[in-house]
Amino acid sequence: MTGATVDHLVSLIVLLGAILLFIGLFNQTIQTAVIYQQHRYLADKCSDLLDNMLLNPGDSNGTMFWGESNSTPTSFGLQDPEFTQYELSSFSLMRLDYSPGNPVYYPETTMSYSNNTLGPGASLLVPFNEVINYSTVQTLLGINGTFGFTLTISPIVAVNVIETQLNPLSVTVTVSGNGYPLANANVSYCFINVVDQSQYPSYNISGGFSVTNNAGQTFLSFPGFDGTQASYAVIVYASLSGLVGSGYYQHVSYKDNYVVPLIADFSNDSVILAHSSDIYSGNNPAPIGFNATFVLLTQDFSLRQMPLSNASGSISAGTYDNIAIPTNNTGIAVIAYEKDPGDAGIALMPWGLSSLSFPVVFGGNPLTNEWVATDIREATVNGVAYQVKLALWSLTGYQVVS
Amino acid sequence: MMRTIEVLLVIIIIMGASIIASLYAVLPQPRRVSPINLRRLALTTLEMLDSDHDLSTTVFKDPNDPAWGQLQTALSAALPPNIVYNLTVYSISPGTTQLYNVTQSLCNAQSLGVGSDVSTYLVASSNVTFNVTPQKIGENGGGGTLYILNCSDSNGWWITGYSAAQLAGDLYDLLSPYFITTVVVQNTTQFGQILNGTALQNETLQSAVVINTVGEAVPIPQSYATQYSGDSYAQYCFQLGKRVSQYNWTWVSIVGYPLYYVCNTGLFTGPNDQNTWGIFGMKCVGSGGLNSFLEGLDNETYNYNGNWITADPGTDSNLLTVPLSSNALYYCNYYGIYPSPIQTATRALPTSIIGQYHLNVTSYVLSQVDSWNAGAVYRHLDGYGGFMALGLTRGPDIRLTALGLLGDYKPRLFASEYTVAGTSRLVVLQLGQVGGV
Repeated sequence: MTGATVDHLVSLIVLLGAILLFIGLFNQTIQTAVIYQQHRYLADKCSDLLDNMLLNPGDSNGTMFWGESNSTPTSFGLQDPEFTQYELSSFSLMRLDYSPGNPVYYPETTMSYSNNTLGPGASLLVPFNEVINYSTVQTLLGINGTFGFTLTISPIVAVNVIETQLNPLSVTVTVSGNGYPLANANVSYCFINVVDQSQYPSYNISGGFSVTNNAGQTFLSFPGFDGTQASYAVIVYASLSGLVGSGYYQHVSYKDNYVVPLIADFSNDSVILAHSSDIYSGNNPAPIGFNATFVLLTQDFSLRQMPLSNASGSISAGTYDNIAIPTNNTGIAVIAYEKDPGDAGIALMPWGLSSLSFPVVFGGNPLTNEWVATDIREATVNGVAYQVKLALWSLTGYQVVS
Repeated sequence: MMRTIEVLLVIIIIMGASIIASLYAVLPQPRRVSPINLRRLALTTLEMLDSDHDLSTTVFKDPNDPAWGQLQTALSAALPPNIVYNLTVYSISPGTTQLYNVTQSLCNAQSLGVGSDVSTYLVASSNVTFNVTPQKIGENGGGGTLYILNCSDSNGWWITGYSAAQLAGDLYDLLSPYFITTVVVQNTTQFGQILNGTALQNETLQSAVVINTVGEAVPIPQSYATQYSGDSYAQYCFQLGKRVSQYNWTWVSIVGYPLYYVCNTGLFTGPNDQNTWGIFGMKCVGSGGLNSFLEGLDNETYNYNGNWITADPGTDSNLLTVPLSSNALYYCNYYGIYPSPIQTATRALPTSIIGQYHLNVTSYVLSQVDSWNAGAVYRHLDGYGGFMALGLTRGPDIRLTALGLLGDYKPRLFASEYTVAGTSRLVVLQLGQVGGV
C-alpha cells in the first residue's frame, strides 16, 4: 500500500514537472512567434510610412507648397506638389532639421540654426523657428509615442572634384555611385572665379560639357587661369542613364574672414549674409565686401546666371546684409567676398536641397533600440537621384510581457 | 507501477505533441520577418532611371548598343550593394502566339538568393503617337456654347501687355476643343444680339459660357447704354446679371475688379469719356457695377450699392500672393495647363457674397485665404447663372481662366494611341537580397 502511494506521488511529481517543462517550451515558441509577428508588423509599418511620406506633398493652410513658406504643415509629406510618384520637393527637404549637424547660434538675430554643412564653403543654415522638427513630424504622422524613425535621404551619385594642377588650373572630376565608376557619364560644369576689386569683388561665370572615361573621370582645364592666387568654385553635374548627381570644389585665398549665408525667411526668399567672426569667432575680424549672384539649375543641368538686386555691399563683425532670391526654382546662391585685393573667397548655398546634392538625415537615433526595421526607395529631387531610407522602431516595447 | 507507466505514457504524448508542434511551427528567418520591400524598390528604381526618359530610350536600342552597358552601370550604382538584380526587357507583339518576347536581359548575379520580388514597367517608344479627344461640354445636354467677347469697338483695361484680340485668340485655341460651338463676338452689336436672346450662328444660347476679354471693362451695346445708363451704368450691370440668370450663362471675368468700366468706342466719344487713366471710349461704373451684377444674378430688385467689396491689399496684405487650389493643381496635370502655382491677386471677392447673393462655390481656382476668394466659380443656388471671377492684379493669365472653367465642367479626355507593332516594351526588374540570414 505504501509502495503504491509513493509510486503515485513520484509519478505525480514527474508529471507536474513534465507539464511545467512543456508549458515553458510552448510558451517560448509562442512568445518568439509573437515577437516575430511584431517585427513583421514593424516592417510593414515602415514600408507604409515611407510611402506615406514620399507620395504625398503635405499641406499647410490649403497649400501644398509648405516648403516654400514659413508655416508649419498641417499634414506631412515630401512629394513635389507639381509631380507625381517619387519626385520629392527640394524645398520641403530644406526645412527638415538636419539631426547630425551641430546647431549654429547667430547673436545678431538671436536665433539658432539647423546646420547642414556639406564641406568648406557650402552650407545650409536654417533658423529653428522655420525648421520642421522631429516631434512635429511624429505628431503629424500619427506615430507620436508609438514609433521612432530616422529618415535618410542621400544622393546616389557622388561627384568628387579635386585640383590636379594650379597653374594653369586643371581639376579632375570623378563620378561614381555605390563605388561603381560611372563611365561615359555626361558632365556639365560651371566655373566661377572671383575677380578682386577695390571695394567688393566681381566674378566671372563660365561653363562647359565633358564625358567621363572608363574610370568615371574627366579632366577639366582652365587655360590662363592661375589657381595659386585666385579664389574660385567649380560646380559639376553628372548624368548617366537617368542617374544625376552633383558635386563642387571651392578654393579660397583668404580664410580669416568670410561670408556665411543664413536662411532668413522662406516666404520672402530672403537670405542673411553674416560675418564669420559672429558665428565661428576667429582672429582679427575685418570688414569684408561681397558680391552675390544666383545660378539657376536648368532642365539640362547646366547653370544659368540670374542676377540679384542689391547684390553687393560690405559687412563687418556685428552687422549683416540681406539678399533676396528672385525665384522659386532650384539653384545656388554664390557669394564672392574679399577683404582686400588678393584676400578673397567664395561661399555657396543651395536654394533647393538638390542643387548641390545635400543629404538629409532627419529623426531620432536608432542605435539603442532592440529591433529596427528599414526600407528603401529610390527617388528624384528636382531630377537629382537620391536614395531614401527609413529606419523605424517601436517606442512601446517589444516583449510580449514587458 | 501502473501509475508510473501511465505518467510515462502521458509524458511521451506531450513530448510528441511538443516535437510535432515544433516541427510544424517553423519560425521564419529574420530577413523574412523584417524584409525590405523589394517590389517597391524595384519600381522606384525603374521610375528613377526613366525620370528623364533615358530608360525608355535605351530599351528600344539594339542589344549591342553601348547604352545597355550604361544602363547596367546605372542600375548597379543605384541599388544598394547587397541587392542583386535581373532586368529583362520584353517586346510586345500583339496578334502573335507569343505575346512577350525577350529582347535583352541584364543581371549581376547567377541567382537571386532565396527570396526575390519583381516589378514591371511598361514603356513606349518615342515613335508612338498619342492623341487626346476631349469630351465636349454640353454634348450630354445643356449648353455647349462658348462666347468669347472680342468686340472691336471696346477697349480693355488691366489686360496690360495683351490686347483683347490676342487674349480671344489664345482662349479660342485653348478652350474651343472642349465646347460644341465657339463663337467669337466681334462687336457690341453682336453682343447686344445675344443679350437679347438671338443666336449668332444657330448656336445654343442657353447655358453658354461668356468670357469677357477686356479685363475690368465690359462692352456695352448702344441700345443698352441708352436704356440702362443710370447710376453710372450700374443698371446695365444689373441687366447683365439678369441675362446671365435668364440664360443660365456662366460669366467669366479674367482679371481685376469685374465690371468696373463700360466701354464702347463708337458711343463714348467725348473728351472726358476715358477711364481717368487715358483709355478712351470708356465710362467708369465703379464698384457699384459688380454689386448690381450680383443683384441681377440673384434676381433681386435693383438697389444701387457702390461699396467696394474686393480685398484691399493694404489691410489684407497676405492676399498679394495666393496659391493655386489643390483642385486646380490636380487639373493642371489632367488638362496639361500649367500656370504659375503662385499668383498675385488684389481683387479677391469676400466669402460674404456667397450667402448674400445665394451662391455656391462649385470650384476653386485659387485657394481661399481667410475670408477671401481670389479665384472661384460661383453658381446660383436656384441653378440658373454662374460667375467666375479671377481677382488677379494686372495682367491676366488665360491659362487660369481655362483651368477654372475646365476644372468646373470637368470634360473627360479620351486618350488613344496610334501605334505599330514593336513600339512598346515591358521592363521587368527582379531584385534579390544577398548576405545575412
